[in-house]
Amino acid sequence: MESKLKPASEERDAPIAELRDASKHYGAVVAAEGLNLAIRRGEFLSFLGPSGCGKTTALRMLAGFESPTSGDILLDGQRVNDVPPHQRPVNMVFQHYALFPHLTVAQNIAYGLRQRRPRPPEDEISRAVERALETVRLPGFGPRRIWEMSGGQQQRVALARAIVNQPKLLLLDEPMAALDKKLRRDMQIELQTLQRQLGITFILVTHDQEEALSMSDRICIMRSGRIVQVGSPRELYDRPASRYVADFVGKSNFFPGTVTAVSAGRTELAAAGGHVIAGLAPVGIAAGQRASASLRPEQIALTRKPAGHALPVTVVNRIFLGEHTEYLVRNGDLGEFLVLVSRQAEASEGGFEPGDQAFASWSEGAALILEDD
Amino acid sequence: MTDRNDFISREKFMAELYRYKKGSVTRRHFLGVTGLGVATSVLGAAMPGLRSAARAQGSIGDRVVVASWPNYHDPANFEAFTAETGAAVDLNVFGSNEEMLAKLQAGGSGWDVFVPTNYTISTYVEEDLIEPLDLSKLPNYDPASFDARFAEAGTVNGVVYAVPRNWGTTGFVVNTSMLGDLPKPTTWKEFWDMTKAEFSGRTMVHDYQLTTIGNALKYFGYSFNSIDPKELADAERLLLEVKPHLFGINSDYQPSMRSGDAWMSIAWTGDGLQLHRDMPEIDYVLGKEGGELWSDFFAIPKGAPHRDAAYALINYLLTPEVNAKEVMFHGYPVADARVNAILPPEMLNDPIMYPAQELLDALEFGAAVTLTDPNRAELMARFKSA
Amino acid sequence: MQRQALRTWLFLAPAGAWFLCMLVLPLIVVFVYSFGERGAAGGYAPAFTFDNFLNLGSRWAAFKNTLILAPLGTLICLLIAYPLAYFLALKTSPRWRTVLLILVIVPFWTSILIRSYAWIYLLGGQGIPALLNALGLGNPRLINTPFAVLVGIVYGYLPLMVFPIYVALERLDKRLLEASSDLGSPPWRSFLQVTLPLSMPGVATGCMLVFILLMGEFLIPAMLGGGKVFFIGNALVDLFLQSRNWPFGSAVAVALVLVMLITVLAYMRFTRRWAGGRDDVSLM
Repeated sequence: MESKLKPASEERDAPIAELRDASKHYGAVVAAEGLNLAIRRGEFLSFLGPSGCGKTTALRMLAGFESPTSGDILLDGQRVNDVPPHQRPVNMVFQHYALFPHLTVAQNIAYGLRQRRPRPPEDEISRAVERALETVRLPGFGPRRIWEMSGGQQQRVALARAIVNQPKLLLLDEPMAALDKKLRRDMQIELQTLQRQLGITFILVTHDQEEALSMSDRICIMRSGRIVQVGSPRELYDRPASRYVADFVGKSNFFPGTVTAVSAGRTELAAAGGHVIAGLAPVGIAAGQRASASLRPEQIALTRKPAGHALPVTVVNRIFLGEHTEYLVRNGDLGEFLVLVSRQAEASEGGFEPGDQAFASWSEGAALILEDD
Repeated sequence: MTDRNDFISREKFMAELYRYKKGSVTRRHFLGVTGLGVATSVLGAAMPGLRSAARAQGSIGDRVVVASWPNYHDPANFEAFTAETGAAVDLNVFGSNEEMLAKLQAGGSGWDVFVPTNYTISTYVEEDLIEPLDLSKLPNYDPASFDARFAEAGTVNGVVYAVPRNWGTTGFVVNTSMLGDLPKPTTWKEFWDMTKAEFSGRTMVHDYQLTTIGNALKYFGYSFNSIDPKELADAERLLLEVKPHLFGINSDYQPSMRSGDAWMSIAWTGDGLQLHRDMPEIDYVLGKEGGELWSDFFAIPKGAPHRDAAYALINYLLTPEVNAKEVMFHGYPVADARVNAILPPEMLNDPIMYPAQELLDALEFGAAVTLTDPNRAELMARFKSA
Repeated sequence: MQRQALRTWLFLAPAGAWFLCMLVLPLIVVFVYSFGERGAAGGYAPAFTFDNFLNLGSRWAAFKNTLILAPLGTLICLLIAYPLAYFLALKTSPRWRTVLLILVIVPFWTSILIRSYAWIYLLGGQGIPALLNALGLGNPRLINTPFAVLVGIVYGYLPLMVFPIYVALERLDKRLLEASSDLGSPPWRSFLQVTLPLSMPGVATGCMLVFILLMGEFLIPAMLGGGKVFFIGNALVDLFLQSRNWPFGSAVAVALVLVMLITVLAYMRFTRRWAGGRDDVSLM
């Protein structure tokens, strides 16, 4: 995946922000542990993970609402551990927007500019506010009260209030959690466009993998306060470092078993019923250990006739998804798993009905052998 | 002096609070000052045990509502009455005759017995607020044994509306230890002049038009009861002149006298007695020019809901033995020779309770007109709000 | 539909009857009386005269005292209550908060009469002045002064001011302060630009409660002012219970109600302005 790094200058190659071995403890509770991450200038990075994984803590450390118990936070190469939020060139879009209810839309957006010392002239402020409103496609909404705005509009105001300050980092804390699905999708696209247009570094916190996959240049997957894997959406999808990541990023079938052979480019796993599944494995997998073979549903083909390494299966359920159909099938040894069949493939094989007998197959070596965690 | 230094000790403070709780801070006006007038001390009603006991003679009903003055009744006597008759005594204490009249004028008081002062009774009769008494229901009332001076105000146009309870005087208390080289004041003139000079900021007057205006009138030698506009104008001028020098306008003067904040105050017999007993340096003085002599009465308001119980209670409290106990409790003299016969001699010889005859001779009973005269009422109100 | 209307009616009837009997009718009586004359022995005599209103000037001192001390007392209450409420709502752990809130209410468990008595001793010659004297700080007269009345007022009414402000501050979305900080505002400016404006409804409610009650106050001035600090409430008590000049008392009451009405209307305008369209607010 190509990164969207801006044209090179020696300064522009340096990370805009860094977490260096940053940990945050609340008494005995570990919110974040040993976070190491370099955020590239101009990228769209997402922290992805379930609630309580430490992603919000990481974001709040960047914003300055939390200071690390140990380790460092750097902004543009400067250590900012002890710099309070109001002195950091960073702005946040809060989860429930945190718009000031006693101020108008325009006053909300102007808030950041008015805190600057020396304070910019009013006409400059109002021009900037107008521009920000146009950017978020709310021209003329300045005099409105906050409660006169819909949820989606409030979100745009929150965005405008942040970007008008031209921050070095724009932090987004689950900004779309309160929107309905359709609106969320529109907003995702809009945010992505906006980020490209403005060139500001966006850091998004989300628990929605689809959102992270569709918007981000890079995703930082977190679990129990630690970073599990950082990479582009494709890297994470194709080369998950663990069963956790594979499970979190996209859908996958897991067949547990024992590693029987490890060699360069090919690792074999003996699954239930003696089925051997071969595939790639990350370094560190050793023969004899317990692991799981991961196969994406779309990697598995469903045919009426056996072809090569085919597993006999019974169709249990079928979900029509438009371009694809998702089948839940059962094998006597390996249990139930999902198969995604494209419309095209289905056309040649004909549709399957629950109860039909069929054969599941995948190309040799397509699986990933991943450590259980 | 020595007594005063420890007045704020915990025991004393609690005693003061307790005094308040009993609804008995001073004889009059404490509640007038607070404007509540409804701080109700419920004796029998709060003791259901007493109420159910001795219901044998239940014919008079289970309760009797009394409107009277604070620190003026021995609770033990009420308890004994309830035990004997089954009627619980519901005591409402008041701050002033004016307030009592206001409540009856407003109607729906629910009182069975009230205790008006001599000069108010004719007004109650005129306003048709008071019941003529059926003396056959008060066998313990023996007119012959009462000093007529203190009993006659209860009879209006030949009809007995009220029977005497206690009498007393209105003078002033002075803390003699604060006098320094000054001679002890003996006249109202000295009272007011000292207030403007040596005792500036240390004198209290009642929040009560009758005594405050009356004793200001005495400064000029006018009648205590004057309603003459010119004389009242003089009194007003004096009062307004004195006001900046007053410690307070408050009929609840005992706490301030005890704490030493106030050195002199217009006072009634019972308070004078109590203060002098606890702090001998505080003397009770009757101004030589005169002042007020008063007597209180038992009466029954029109429309009393428990009339039989009202007669029973008045009759009970007029029993000489019971009345004697009341006097020992509150320290106000009584006009009943039968009671005086059984009181301890030291009480009968107390100069505060029974002042010398020449001092008594100069005193005047309050006049009915002072209660209703709009100019006196308005003068007092102007003085207070000045 | 009709049934529902009937039910609504039945639900509202007790409150409506209460409102009518306890507020509207008495107010009408007071209003009618204010044009009457004092009866021969006091009370009310029917008449139609404006004399009572023309005589209002004779109570100017009481009105003046009230109109100075009530706002002053309200202001002092506010100045003490705001930091206290702020501390309780924003700087105290939940466990301590409950304890401290109870401590704020505890004095209310005792009658104001008894508590005022305590102040009579505390402010009396043997109380605080004696302590100051022992420390060589002079021996000021405190009791029976406007100062003593203000002490009593602040002491008695403080909780009424603390609670509305506390509630407003407690309800304040703390993320707004983070947002303000995030947008570059140092804490003290966040207080002025976010906390203070958003707690204004609580401030207004507290001020209103305290001010309205103070306008009718009579007990504290009577007890701690020793009859020398005279409120309009004391004038009313005197007029109804001592001089029994009900018509004049009614006229004073009507005047007092009018003053309060004006205050409440001003309050409503003020809060509406805070709630709605403030275009021209200065943000420091």
